[in-house]
Amino acid sequence: MIEFPRDPQNTIPSSSVKIVGLGGAGTNMLDRVVLDGMDGAEMLAVNTDIRTLSGSVARERIQLGRNLTKGLGCGGDPELGQQAILEAEAEIRAALKGRKIVFLCVGLGGGTGSGAAPIICRIAREEGAFVVVFATMPFSFEGRRRRDQADTALNELAVLSNALVTFDNTRMGDLVLAKQGIHEAFAAADRMISESIKAVIRLVIRPGLINVGLDDLMTALRTTRSRCLFGSGIASGKDRAQKALRNALNSPLLDQGALLRDAESVLVHLCGGQDLTLYEIELLMQSLSKHVPDKAHVLFGAAVDPSMGESLSITMVSSLPEDRLHAPRTASMERPALLEPTVGFAGDEEEEEEEPVAVAPTPVREPVREPVREVVREREPVREPVRVVEPAPVKKASPPASVAKAIAAASLFDETKPVVAEFSSKPKSASALVEEEEVPFAEPEQSPFTIDRNPANEISNDEDFAGKVEEIVTLRSVSEVEAEDGFPEMPELDDAPEEESPAFFTIDDEEPAPEEEPEPEPVVAAKEEKPVVLPGVFDELDDVFAGMEDPLAPETPVVPVKARGGKGQTELSFEGGPRGKFEGGSPSLFEGEDLDVPAFLRKKR
Amino acid sequence: MPRSKIHVGLEIGTSKICMVVGEVKSDGSVKILGVGQSKSVGVRKGEIYDFPQVRACLKDALVKAEDASDVEIGSVYLSVTGSHIHGVNNRGSFRLPDDESVIAPAHVQEAKEIARAVAIPADHVYLHHIIRRFGVDGFEHATSPVGLSGKTVDADFHVIHGIRSRIENQIKCVREMPLDIDDLVFAPIASAQVALDRESKERGALVIDIGGGTTDYVLYLDGAIEASGCIPVGGDHITNDIHLVTGLAFSKAETLKVREGDASADPARSVGVIKVADDKGFAEAEVKRQLLNDIIRQRMEETLKLLLRRLPDGAMERVGTGVFLSGGSSLMRGFGELAHDIFKRDIYRPEPPELSGVQANFKDPQFTTAIGLIRYAQIIEAEREPKRGFLRRLWPFSK
Repeated sequence: MIEFPRDPQNTIPSSSVKIVGLGGAGTNMLDRVVLDGMDGAEMLAVNTDIRTLSGSVARERIQLGRNLTKGLGCGGDPELGQQAILEAEAEIRAALKGRKIVFLCVGLGGGTGSGAAPIICRIAREEGAFVVVFATMPFSFEGRRRRDQADTALNELAVLSNALVTFDNTRMGDLVLAKQGIHEAFAAADRMISESIKAVIRLVIRPGLINVGLDDLMTALRTTRSRCLFGSGIASGKDRAQKALRNALNSPLLDQGALLRDAESVLVHLCGGQDLTLYEIELLMQSLSKHVPDKAHVLFGAAVDPSMGESLSITMVSSLPEDRLHAPRTASMERPALLEPTVGFAGDEEEEEEEPVAVAPTPVREPVREPVREVVREREPVREPVRVVEPAPVKKASPPASVAKAIAAASLFDETKPVVAEFSSKPKSASALVEEEEVPFAEPEQSPFTIDRNPANEISNDEDFAGKVEEIVTLRSVSEVEAEDGFPEMPELDDAPEEESPAFFTIDDEEPAPEEEPEPEPVVAAKEEKPVVLPGVFDELDDVFAGMEDPLAPETPVVPVKARGGKGQTELSFEGGPRGKFEGGSPSLFEGEDLDVPAFLRKKR
Repeated sequence: MPRSKIHVGLEIGTSKICMVVGEVKSDGSVKILGVGQSKSVGVRKGEIYDFPQVRACLKDALVKAEDASDVEIGSVYLSVTGSHIHGVNNRGSFRLPDDESVIAPAHVQEAKEIARAVAIPADHVYLHHIIRRFGVDGFEHATSPVGLSGKTVDADFHVIHGIRSRIENQIKCVREMPLDIDDLVFAPIASAQVALDRESKERGALVIDIGGGTTDYVLYLDGAIEASGCIPVGGDHITNDIHLVTGLAFSKAETLKVREGDASADPARSVGVIKVADDKGFAEAEVKRQLLNDIIRQRMEETLKLLLRRLPDGAMERVGTGVFLSGGSSLMRGFGELAHDIFKRDIYRPEPPELSGVQANFKDPQFTTAIGLIRYAQIIEAEREPKRGFLRRLWPFSK
């Protein structure tokens, strides 16, 4: 018998990842990453200025241009920077040898950064590493010259690197309040970049249960001369899926999520602790699907990292061709992204219903109306709903056939291809997948990271829950889309569930439905109840339903009033006291006192 | 010759619906032909909230009234009440044109128009314009100053208005009976017609009608209406209070209130415990008399104090006669003492004196409003009559 050690989550050995900070800004970024703690990667600081270099906390340091600049900086001259690094080329090459992934942090516009960055990039590529560049652009007030230098360097980097993430310093204002100290502003920018780096590293180092690898990353960043969109969010506690997504979308690099609308492929990586549930993944992907166009290629990966503890992090990487990067920005001004005010509601799973109204709500909603009813009535698993829910913007429900085709197409025309990105496609294209994996990758050194090691357990894993997932996904998406209508289109909703009204009022608002249960039926039922029982919005409904709410809480008549008040915004809740016979009617207010409450009780207070 | 006219007064109250058929004889006396009464369901705080129910009860009362009076009822005088009804005083002045010095009816009309134009909220509609007094050059006249000389004519009106939709809904409900509506009357105005005579109006009187759902009041000073209004607290609230505080069922609370309640705050009468028996005679619960009386007293006290606050400042001092109580809830034991404590005036429970007919009903203050409607109808008719008579004299040929 041959022993085959199976490590479901193959981790990349830490000696394969190197984070390089180049130039003054780069070393600052690197320091931030080090201080925030980063396992699994080596740190290297590279600079001409010896003072800052010695001040850096990185473990390895390389001085550039020892003879050329003699320990001073480049003085803002990229030429000097270039020459300086050529001087130290051998050292750098030695430092980068054998590394699989190199993250390069650099601040463009100055001498060392702009001059040396393309060179380092080239060296790293020559050594066979995958290079991800995090570059910051200078402030607009730094002048035209610096900007031009930065642009030149950026263009070169765009060609040389595998992935390029830029951050414009002028957008730093998005990170912090204008009044806060500049120290904080820079610290915030550094922190953001370090988060991004960590997220990408996490993505790559721990491929996770649902794998996403460098090839996925490259697909996501496929277009040449493109800018990278990057968003990462981390959250913990209740409702962490939503919060994390919100944080991620809030990232200035994503321009509040608006830029995602034009993305062609998006790589999404979720990382959570041991308690990461499929349900949360569902949730998150559902919400995400609203921000990403229908035909975008979503590469999804999930990993369980015990060191994450209670938090959940989501990383989104995408790219936009350069020209589209600027154009949509104006568009996004007119249509600010709507982030949902989800936090703070009593019920457990009711939060996710308050989704931002997606950009094109009406055309999407109408086709789903019908399927909603069908799914509700019949509760038939998989086949029916899958087909029916097709039009809904749920990536995973998209017909497996087209996905397989997309994968096939991708494999034909691209050097790399996304592997096992869509788990919904797995059952059908599992076989196709196996074949695809055999096809050699463009960069053979990367194969250790990717999946052909464990295609077997990959597929088996996915097959187990793919079927269930589909079902859950579709039912959930269906009910979610229905529920999403809750706020702005109440009348529409009221029509749909009217035939089923008895079912809706049996479950109390306050009953916390189990969050973790992936069973579709009770989850769906509970969720569908919720949109109808939003009575606070209409006063007439209140009066009509007042009788219905009473049996739930005869002893404490204050409670149903409060529950209604919590959800709806128009009804005031009078904690004045019990009103007995006059419960549910409009109160008689005299000088602030509700006359229907017994005088005896009011006096007592 | 004015024939005897038959008027019907309809009161849709919170606890009962009452229809009274009365006949106004040629000499001006009123005879009550019959009363139709039914329990009211679907009315809360004086306002209808369940129309089908009310229609059913109305039908019931109508049938009973027709039976009792042997009259086919075609139109009624409807009394309305509700907390949305407000009464405001308004004064309009009209200055005569320079060349005229004698006040003509047109001038008085003009002044009246100005006085009536009170700014009321958009969704409100006028119920009554009641003339209080006139004035000529600042000097007050009780009656129309037509023919007197002066420069300015003042007209002082008491305007009563309420929410249009609610009033219209009440009208609609009655119209669907089918019954015509001769006139709409604000409830305490009707009650006052029965409770007060001219002398008491002159001396100043306050009429309070505490019904099942509302407490209506009207204040007369110097022979004219000074204030009127409605507070949405009534006997139902007392029962509700008892029900909420003691935890008894509503119906039990009602019987308790009627049988054992005492609002006088007399400690001697608040001793001991009341045993509440259920249908089979078993003692269901025990309620301390003190507690019960406290509940009732506090509620009534608050209501009356609210009422007092609503009256214009210094009005109570000018009330010479006293306070007239009517309405079912005024039957509460010790209520007179309570009212006296608050108003510090003589308290009267009015009895309609000059009505003949079946007497037993009218002593009951529950019917004050309905009977008052008949009286009101009589007065209204009397105002209209002289004109017709006048014309008759001018035109002996017309019939």
